[in-house]
Amino acid sequence: MPNDSRGLAKAKQVYQERSRRARQLRAEGSRVIGYPCVYVPVEMLSALGLVPYRTYGDIREPVTEADRALPTSFCPFMRSCFDCALKAKDDFLDGMVVAHSCDPQEKTARLWESYVGYPYFHFMDVPGTVRPEAVEYFGGQLSDLKATLEAFTGQELTVERLRSAIQFHNEQRALVKELYELTKPAPPLVSGTEMLQVVKALMSLPVAEGNDLLKEVIGEVQGRTTGGPELKPVRLLVWSSTLDDVAIMEILESGANVVMDEGCGGMRAYRGEVKLTDEPMDGLARHYMDDITCARTFRQGADGETTKEYSQDLEKRFGYLKDVVEEWSINAAILLLVRYCDPFAFEVPSLRDYFDAVGIPSIYIEYDYAEGALAPLRTRVEAFFETIG
Amino acid sequence: MYPLRAKVNESYLKSVEAMRAGKPTVWAMLNWYYGDPILKAMDLEVVYPENYGAALAATGFAQPYLEYADADGFPTHLCGYSRATLGYTSKMMRELGGEIPAEAPLGGMPKPIFLMASSAVCDARYKWFQALGRYMDVPVWTLESPMPGVKELFLEGARERMVELGVRHLEHFVAFVERITGRKMDWDRLEETVDLMIEVNRVWHEVNELRKARPCPMHSRDFWSAMPAALFMMGDLRDSLRCFQDMYAEVKARVDNGVGAIADEKYRLVFAELPPWHSLGFFDRLAERGWNFVVESFGYRPPIPLDLSGVGNTLERITRFGLQTFVGYYEDARDEHVPAGALAYPYLKYAGEWKCDGALLHPLISCRSASTHLPYVASLLRERLKVPSLIMEGDIVDLRLFDPEDALARAEPFEESMQHYRGVRRQEGLDW
Repeated sequence: MPNDSRGLAKAKQVYQERSRRARQLRAEGSRVIGYPCVYVPVEMLSALGLVPYRTYGDIREPVTEADRALPTSFCPFMRSCFDCALKAKDDFLDGMVVAHSCDPQEKTARLWESYVGYPYFHFMDVPGTVRPEAVEYFGGQLSDLKATLEAFTGQELTVERLRSAIQFHNEQRALVKELYELTKPAPPLVSGTEMLQVVKALMSLPVAEGNDLLKEVIGEVQGRTTGGPELKPVRLLVWSSTLDDVAIMEILESGANVVMDEGCGGMRAYRGEVKLTDEPMDGLARHYMDDITCARTFRQGADGETTKEYSQDLEKRFGYLKDVVEEWSINAAILLLVRYCDPFAFEVPSLRDYFDAVGIPSIYIEYDYAEGALAPLRTRVEAFFETIG
Repeated sequence: MYPLRAKVNESYLKSVEAMRAGKPTVWAMLNWYYGDPILKAMDLEVVYPENYGAALAATGFAQPYLEYADADGFPTHLCGYSRATLGYTSKMMRELGGEIPAEAPLGGMPKPIFLMASSAVCDARYKWFQALGRYMDVPVWTLESPMPGVKELFLEGARERMVELGVRHLEHFVAFVERITGRKMDWDRLEETVDLMIEVNRVWHEVNELRKARPCPMHSRDFWSAMPAALFMMGDLRDSLRCFQDMYAEVKARVDNGVGAIADEKYRLVFAELPPWHSLGFFDRLAERGWNFVVESFGYRPPIPLDLSGVGNTLERITRFGLQTFVGYYEDARDEHVPAGALAYPYLKYAGEWKCDGALLHPLISCRSASTHLPYVASLLRERLKVPSLIMEGDIVDLRLFDPEDALARAEPFEESMQHYRGVRRQEGLDW
């Protein structure tokens, strides 16, 4: 693949060689900070000229080193991420920011900090609820992050710099949403596999480069007359904790057009936008607690009220999906989770209740984050498509 | 020690009677002191589904409820306690219209007026209560429980922001409980409850400090018997305080007279995490071999005492006390460069200060939050203190996963290992 590729070809290239640009930037003097979850406010990293780099695991890499410190019956995604770190696959990172977005991540963070000697490491606590005092507390966590980032970089994170970074990242959110608009036609103009490559590329590049890439991709896809996805009978929504490998997406696309990826490698990281509040950290705190629809955050119909009604509760937790289903003309959903993903797994029966209520057939499939999981995954996906066909 | 356990049992039975008679009941997660004093001061009956899950498992009643949860679509790898409770509630609400299932052991759990979840320690402990919304329209209150990083706790203002969160959050929680019960909080009673809670735990801490003596005067089995009165505040706190004071006197007398908890203490061990409740007799078999369990699981021990006499706001005292459970070891953990200040570091301290020869680690297949850190604990103990670990897998609900006979068969080789490391420690200049 030539280095001067553009648009979708470039996204694919970045996807395939994710660390290449980060390594290059580091060789040129930039500092690269890893983060394993979308609860880390990348705006604060960008504002200080740091390159945010989303760390992932690798389903093709057998987990060997992580066994030194993590049990086998544990989130396979975090095991893989940690294993890659122990094998120095992310040796270009100058530091890590890990959020307490779920229990496995919180536990792994302690080990990460112990076993891998990054020059910079910061752990952010994330409250469990979206109550006002919890959001304010999260704002305090952002202040702590600001303090350690300033100490690490020797620079001040000024309001102006942060506002500018927020604008860049908001632009990226808007561009991703614009790209998702192009999955609305039948057939969609861009495939789930391509979307995954683009999003994973964005999480590997400085924000401005990502935005340039998105503009190229959008232009290319809008002008597409051939080469787009074939029309499939199923327009699929995938709800997942982690879906980060095209081999998985290709299985899903064997019988469906994946028009919405409700995962943190898909739309989840880009929904909403950061409001430019007088104190930008307030807007950041509100956005990360409110707009990210991860199962890890506790929400209920009428929080703090003395009565509760299940349908109202479902609406509060999953109501955003009804609009997605309508606007993208979705006719099936797969709830795809890595094994041992508790926050998402507890949601499964309720989310399936919700999909039933809006008339969408759904299935829950769990898989191990490993290449060996692909064959059984294919069997289950094909069986689902036959069932609803 | 035994009067205390009897009081815990008596209090449990009284509570069951009151609940069956229609007294408002709350289902609560273990919350490490944040919510319990408030419920107690409001005179609400509290049942802990985590405990009830253990009771279901130990009495052999869990399996049918697990099958209900499976049939309702909950993944089978979820926390065993949660699956048992989800299945129990499914049956109670959907099949029996809210009546307690006739076969439910220990009086069962009646439908609550609200669910008090906690964000502490693991995701299941609030997602599980949220998931119960499928079966009953009962509001959930998720208690916020900050869990900072070790070095991050010492950033300017960080601890005070956690206290501020706790106080504001508990103010809202009290208002919520007042609305849902139609009762007003008796703040004098809350203050008295909090005073007793702190004092009970202080005395309990001192009892456990006495166990540093050689031979150790109190075995883990007594710890687990007494623990609910301090951690869950079960029973009347004034009674509990008297019992803990008596226990202190009894244990102190043993120390003064050189009386050990077991006949011939050959090996001193630290135990982590939840014990095999259904097979506690296993500890007796090990005691016959001279194994004395002198210190145990961090999350069930009282917090390191903190002087809160200058804190006037009762909710602030609760918050600081609850927070202390998790961050009480952080300063030492930071100084000794152990980023896992809560779940892993305490074992380093325990093994060193209680002069342990070995660690018995008990990872649980369906309780990952109580298991994740154990390989790291084993590594820390071996590398820093030359203390070996024996890992025996089990589960909180699936009793078949823990085989006491197999575990006992591994005891002898582990004794050789403990003997070997005694020599290594001596070579390294360690004093036990």
